Amino acid sequence: MKRVAIVGAGCTKFGERLDAGLSELFTEAYIEALHGVDKGIDPSEIQEAFIGSMGSGGGQIANTAPLMIDYAGIPGIPATKVENACASGGYAIRSAILSILTGQCKVALVGGVEKMRDIPGERGRAWLGVGGDTEWERWHGLTFPAVFALMATRHMHEYGTTREQLAKVAVKNHKNGSKNPKAHFQNEIKLENALKAPMVAYPLSLMDCCPTSDGASAAILCEESLARRYTDTPVYIAGFGAATDRLASFSRESLTKGIATVNASSQAYKMAGIGPDDIDLAEVHDCFTIAEIVHTEDLGFCKKGEGGKFVEEGQTEIAGKVAVNPSGGLKAKGHPIGATGVGQVYEIFKQLRNEADKPSRQVPDAQIGLAHIMGGFIAAGTVHILAR
Amino acid sequence: MGVGILGYGVYIPKYRIKAEEYTRAWGYFAAPGVSEKSVPRHDEDAVTMAVEASRNAMKRAGIEPAQLNAVYMGSSSSPYGEKLVSSTIATAIGVPKDVCVSDFGASAKAGTAALLSCIDLVGSARGKYGLAVGSDCPVGRPGDDIEHALGAGAAAYIIGSESLVANFEGAHSFGAENWGGRIRRDGIRFVEDPGIARLREIEYEQSLASAAGGLMRKINLKPENFSHAVLQQPDARFPLRAARVLGLTEGQISTGLVAPGLGDTGTSSPLIGLAAVLDKARPRERLLVVSYGSGAGSDALAFGIEQGIEDSRTKAPLVDDYLMDKQYVDYLTYLRWRRVLTRDREAS
Amino acid sequence: MAYISVPSIWRELPEKYRLAVFKCKSCGALNFPRRRICVGCRKPSEFEEQKASGRGKVYSYTVVAAGATASEHAEEGRVGGPFPVAIVELEEGIRVMGQVTDCDPSAVKIGMNVESVFRKIYEQDGIIRYGYKFRPVEMTSGRQ
Repeated sequence: MKRVAIVGAGCTKFGERLDAGLSELFTEAYIEALHGVDKGIDPSEIQEAFIGSMGSGGGQIANTAPLMIDYAGIPGIPATKVENACASGGYAIRSAILSILTGQCKVALVGGVEKMRDIPGERGRAWLGVGGDTEWERWHGLTFPAVFALMATRHMHEYGTTREQLAKVAVKNHKNGSKNPKAHFQNEIKLENALKAPMVAYPLSLMDCCPTSDGASAAILCEESLARRYTDTPVYIAGFGAATDRLASFSRESLTKGIATVNASSQAYKMAGIGPDDIDLAEVHDCFTIAEIVHTEDLGFCKKGEGGKFVEEGQTEIAGKVAVNPSGGLKAKGHPIGATGVGQVYEIFKQLRNEADKPSRQVPDAQIGLAHIMGGFIAAGTVHILAR
Repeated sequence: MGVGILGYGVYIPKYRIKAEEYTRAWGYFAAPGVSEKSVPRHDEDAVTMAVEASRNAMKRAGIEPAQLNAVYMGSSSSPYGEKLVSSTIATAIGVPKDVCVSDFGASAKAGTAALLSCIDLVGSARGKYGLAVGSDCPVGRPGDDIEHALGAGAAAYIIGSESLVANFEGAHSFGAENWGGRIRRDGIRFVEDPGIARLREIEYEQSLASAAGGLMRKINLKPENFSHAVLQQPDARFPLRAARVLGLTEGQISTGLVAPGLGDTGTSSPLIGLAAVLDKARPRERLLVVSYGSGAGSDALAFGIEQGIEDSRTKAPLVDDYLMDKQYVDYLTYLRWRRVLTRDREAS
Repeated sequence: MAYISVPSIWRELPEKYRLAVFKCKSCGALNFPRRRICVGCRKPSEFEEQKASGRGKVYSYTVVAAGATASEHAEEGRVGGPFPVAIVELEEGIRVMGQVTDCDPSAVKIGMNVESVFRKIYEQDGIIRYGYKFRPVEMTSGRQ
């Protein structure tokens, strides 16, 4: 089977970027990707663009894709804005892969961009709930922390997961993020402080929730046969999968299993001809600490119900059985919604080429990486397996 | 053809505030005979209480919502100055669209106004079944004496012509201009007391005496013919004085006296009192119900208890069940929930 | 900006006011809310409205901090404080979501028996949005 290669990637610092608007952020990531192509690439070689963005804040709701490529100096090519809430970036990658594999284009730009910090707090919250079932979940006053809290309460009830285990996810991710100059948060946090943080939606506290962030990311993909023209160390997409689940939390069969993750990852594993034990590092969608725990189970890194123990035992540290969120994850690296998906791929691209920003964040002997992203309450998402 | 009560139901919010909370805040409590009163939670109002009471009444009535021809709601504290809330109640209990919905307001006698209208509907054969609700939670300005007594509650009655638990035996009313009792101008949130205590007493007693006296003459009965009498209860002292004027004993009004534990529940006051009597009365006893609304008006109604009363009791909670299910709140919570302690610049 | 429109509430009154569930005439599956394509047989279908008893058990819950609620609920959060939201498994076997009222937030437990009540959910643009909530079933009093 033909494969798609990643030959360059870029990512802005995520965080409160009042210094940059949407197009400035996007261009920053794009330039890094462009210059990061080892043997060079001319912008005119890019034939199609897929850009993930949710339009949070209402600054630019429609036509984000043509606007971004206009400012990136590559107007005119087919460009699509992809939106599936937090999984926008993952689905943008999927769309680019499909375009290349069907022969529609040979070189594609994928990216993502989001501006969340320009608007005041209460208005920002008005935008955050938009990925849930507005009429049947938001109606009751919920935004996302509350929906994931329903998962946490149930997971604690069914498997005995503790708040300490949840907090350990945050502690680990902040530790990783403190070594990542691109991360929103550069500080480590202590477990006892994490446990004292104010409640947002019981049992999730402020320390269990990822931030809202500004940021952008970009990557250049091409068909396998062209990869060596651009670099001697391309990273290939060895397998990919995508799935959805019914949206409202009360419509789910199980509140403790994300079947979209199970289905998307099993497609990707099958295509790549590997299993969970072969994965060296994974960037996983930890919008809330409980999510990382559930995803490590659903991706097959540990048994169902043992995700709490798995992180507690250090199995997901940089040097652990599988390094989960070496970038700091959504929790510490940040979550500019449309940009997160390609940001995960940026991290894995760097790690697999032994180029993580600081030596201590480099996953030792990284051969195969997995990018997992889910939109909303694990309602739509993708899994991409990357390998050298 | 007989007309009367087919089913009845009440709703009283779970929360109470004690007189002591007022004494601590203001040095005294200005609602004689009231030891605690009911407080609606912040997510309750006259409409939500009316729906609960109506659902309870439907359980006792044993008819389908589609059989109701009218839904009449009487309140002095509807959250809307203009928008029917009787339609909200009708939809919440599943009444289909060909129903007469009317809101009665503007005084504490709007509950009996709704009740009488249902009785007229069925009595004139314009409809077969009607739902009348008195639901109220009036608000006063903190610090005004008249605020001290203001409580919350609802009572609903399904009126029909067969299988009755209480037969309607007659009504008489009083209406005359006065400004003795509560007054609230349109657009103002808080009820106010014009301040002439004696005028308030006169208005109240004259209204009740005239309506009740006229009824007794009309149906040729004397005060002692009534086993129970329920009088409008702005506090627990007003009805005691009025009873003397009407020639009733304390014993006759005691079963229906709910103000000591609830305060002034406005339009629902005589209707909750009536329900308290229906919870205990025996077949063939006779009841008198007299409402009063400032401005002024009063409706007096007579009912005779039927055999079916005992069976109907178990189908929905009793007044005592609601009275006993309570949780106390402090004065700050009370002010916050009643939205008088607020960030809004216009609190009035 | 997410906004629940007045017409959408008007279309959804049976569910929001009466906790009505809809039974598929082809396969008998319960749908909440009503749809055109049944969640059970996944075919376009006809439905009949059933009145849910309103009784059920808490399947999962959270307690939303007043400052973390959707913005249109901010006022209720300020006045009422943190509030529980639960997924309730109704007697009829279907799961729905609702706030839990008349209850100390720390008292909510998985498996708790609840019954539905009619309350104010929030107010926006001068229109009060009413709907069902749940409250714990009192075993001691005669409340049914």
